[in-house]
Amino acid sequence: MKDQVVSNLAWRHRKAAAFRYFCIGVTMFAVAILVVLIYQVTSLGMPWLDMQFLESFPSRFPEKAGIKSALVGTLWLISLTALISIPVGVLAAVYLEEYAPPNRLTEFINLNIANLAGVPSIVYGILGLAIFVRFFALERSVISGALTMSLLILPVIIISSREAIKAVPGSLRQAAFAVGATRWQVVRSHVLPAALPGVITGVILAISRAIGETAPLIMIGALTYVAFVPEGPMDEFTALPIQIFNWTSRPQEEFHELASAGIIVLLAVLLAMNAIAVYIRYRGSKKSS
Amino acid sequence: MSESVILDIDDVCIRYGDELAVRNVTLPIYEKKITAIIGPSGCGKSTLLRSLNRMNDFIHACSQDGKISFHESDLYSNTTDPVEVRRRIGMVFQRPNPFPKSIYRNIAWGPSINGLGGNMDERVERALKQAALWDEVKDRLQDSALNLSGGQQQRLCIARALAMEPEIILMDEPCSALDPVSTARIEDLLFELKENYTIVIVTHNMQQAARVSDYTAFLENGVMIEYGITEDVFTRPENKRTEEYVTGRFG
Amino acid sequence: MMQPAKPRYLENSLQVAFFMCAAISTVTTVAVISVLAFETYGFLQQVPITEFLFGTEWTPLLHPKSYGLLPLLAGTMLIVVGASLVAVPVGLSCAIFLSEYASERTRDILKPVLEILAGIPTVVYGFFALTFVTPLLKTVLPQTQVFNAASGAIVVGIMVLPMVASLCDDALRAVPQSLREGAYSLGATSFEVTTRVVVPAGLSGIFAAFVLAISRAIGETMAVTLAAGATPNLTINPLEGIQTMTAYIVQVSLGDTPAGTLTYQTLFAVASVLFLITLSLNIIANRVMKRFQEVYE
Repeated sequence: MKDQVVSNLAWRHRKAAAFRYFCIGVTMFAVAILVVLIYQVTSLGMPWLDMQFLESFPSRFPEKAGIKSALVGTLWLISLTALISIPVGVLAAVYLEEYAPPNRLTEFINLNIANLAGVPSIVYGILGLAIFVRFFALERSVISGALTMSLLILPVIIISSREAIKAVPGSLRQAAFAVGATRWQVVRSHVLPAALPGVITGVILAISRAIGETAPLIMIGALTYVAFVPEGPMDEFTALPIQIFNWTSRPQEEFHELASAGIIVLLAVLLAMNAIAVYIRYRGSKKSS
Repeated sequence: MSESVILDIDDVCIRYGDELAVRNVTLPIYEKKITAIIGPSGCGKSTLLRSLNRMNDFIHACSQDGKISFHESDLYSNTTDPVEVRRRIGMVFQRPNPFPKSIYRNIAWGPSINGLGGNMDERVERALKQAALWDEVKDRLQDSALNLSGGQQQRLCIARALAMEPEIILMDEPCSALDPVSTARIEDLLFELKENYTIVIVTHNMQQAARVSDYTAFLENGVMIEYGITEDVFTRPENKRTEEYVTGRFG
Repeated sequence: MMQPAKPRYLENSLQVAFFMCAAISTVTTVAVISVLAFETYGFLQQVPITEFLFGTEWTPLLHPKSYGLLPLLAGTMLIVVGASLVAVPVGLSCAIFLSEYASERTRDILKPVLEILAGIPTVVYGFFALTFVTPLLKTVLPQTQVFNAASGAIVVGIMVLPMVASLCDDALRAVPQSLREGAYSLGATSFEVTTRVVVPAGLSGIFAAFVLAISRAIGETMAVTLAAGATPNLTINPLEGIQTMTAYIVQVSLGDTPAGTLTYQTLFAVASVLFLITLSLNIIANRVMKRFQEVYE
């Protein structure tokens, strides 16, 4: 090509290349930090991870301590939370996407949900403490925890379910209406099945958030030393993240190792749930394309 | 005719993944003339146009064979700098795409990053006058370009390309998003610009091609069916398909 | 002939039931506000608001008791500033890489990684701060205390990083491709296109991401409780132990505090401030985000 008067190009290209490498470098650095994080939080606990750890109650003696009560407590807590929050959240999403008239009340509800999603979890804990534990006198029970957790993850479920419902093409609804279906029939037989992969993905992600939440449970006073498993919704309980918090906050190295072992269990559960969510979304996106 | 070829497209094939979008197109672009590329939508005319200033570089699935020469040097050789190519071969897009900046900054941005000398105010004024937009915006150069109407935005984009004083301006259906009045203004503009610039315009509007261009190439399914002086292509087409297309029997 | 419309009891009752589900969100908001307001009112009956907002000593659990919020606010701010210093530049750079440079395949790998990282519980970050970041800081700067703001700030920064990167990536990708093409067609390099056209065009979305990150950092609880300590401290030295508003709330709840006492009410007073700050930030972020989305449809 013909020579040009402008000769700043070499310098500009160097700047562009430098910037590109900078961004790549920073991203790789961030990924490296995260690898270090995962390694660091899991490596200490590996030797402690055995059946005895899963089957023992917490103890003052590290070598005897385990997470049985925490694991069962988390299972109770999450089952109840799912039972409460999934129907309420999904149906709220159905209402807002399929039924709600475009008026001020709807707009107000929308605004509320958006803002609630950003409220710190500890504030939900305070709410749970004041309303469920004290006002309704449910005490420090599994049900108090589950209700608090449900309020916490409801906005997440509603928002993600709405996204999934919104993605269902309008032509599908019109086709169903055109053969004389009522709105509920349209929703039940066509919209919800079509939105299901998206809804399930969102629900799983919301539930996994609840599994890892610690602060609200501390607020409602989920005990940190529980040497029994809850047998009903009114029983006291502890949960996996609380047990991890408890062990981490002790100065002795052995307890940190126990905390790490607990973290391995917690992350394994979360990773499995995430994998399921990603798989469902992947299958959903493959089917629709 | 004694025109010189500024851009020589020689046996060019362009692929999108497995799909062959442009097949063995050979086409000269003459200096200070308007060349129109017409054809039904999806025939590969935009793809061909975008290959002329290496805008297809950004589409990863896109690959290209054949040779395009600009002033007799290879546009796609390893030593050719795509930034330099685009500096000298400007482009106006299908939909107006002004930057979310002031009118003035929209025009001045290209020359300033490329270090073009001279008085910037004069350069902006000259470009806006060439694009027949000056009178409408001279009192509000600091307003956001997004406040202009669609037709004004497209003329702003033409002015933005002109401010770089390119040798060739590529126009990808520049009027497809505009109303008839704005379209007429831009067509008038093309006649004036021809004095100083080489223009390649892609259009699906046959009247427009017939009105404004000196040469016309007709593409169908990525194959160039016919190329010639515009008048000939429209009044005495050699190929049956061309005749059917220009008389509006399909497309 | 058309039959007259029958009342559809099932349909109507279902609609009412669905509405109730949606209305729970509003009930929640009302409940949060009333609970906080009620107990905070009780608190302010005993502690003058000027002392609460401008006092420089926070010792509600010791004698002599004083209820000046500033040390807790300062502690929180220290965490927020430190976390922003980590998350904002790194998150934005990652987002630029993802949206402007990465291939589709790299994105497909990195995006789920970001999502999974965003899902790691905060107590895990707390553990990481205590067992990795703090010892590291101590090797570099021996004067670092066992509990210190810097360690908390760094892990909170790492924690909000995936969110910042993901939201900034969304903002950058919302910038229409035609703007990039317009800029490239004028002979701009990728650096010029990114920094002078794409980032400015996505700025309000990026700003909203930063505000949300700050709001998250303010409300973050477990990591700062574990790493930054429980000593209210009006300082700007990040190597000292501090206490954030959230960490104070946890500290009190770990003990058994009877309802109705002044200590119990401090929980709600501090939570009110926390709630008001994060709510305002979220409202700002949502507004900006909405305006940004309207610009690009």
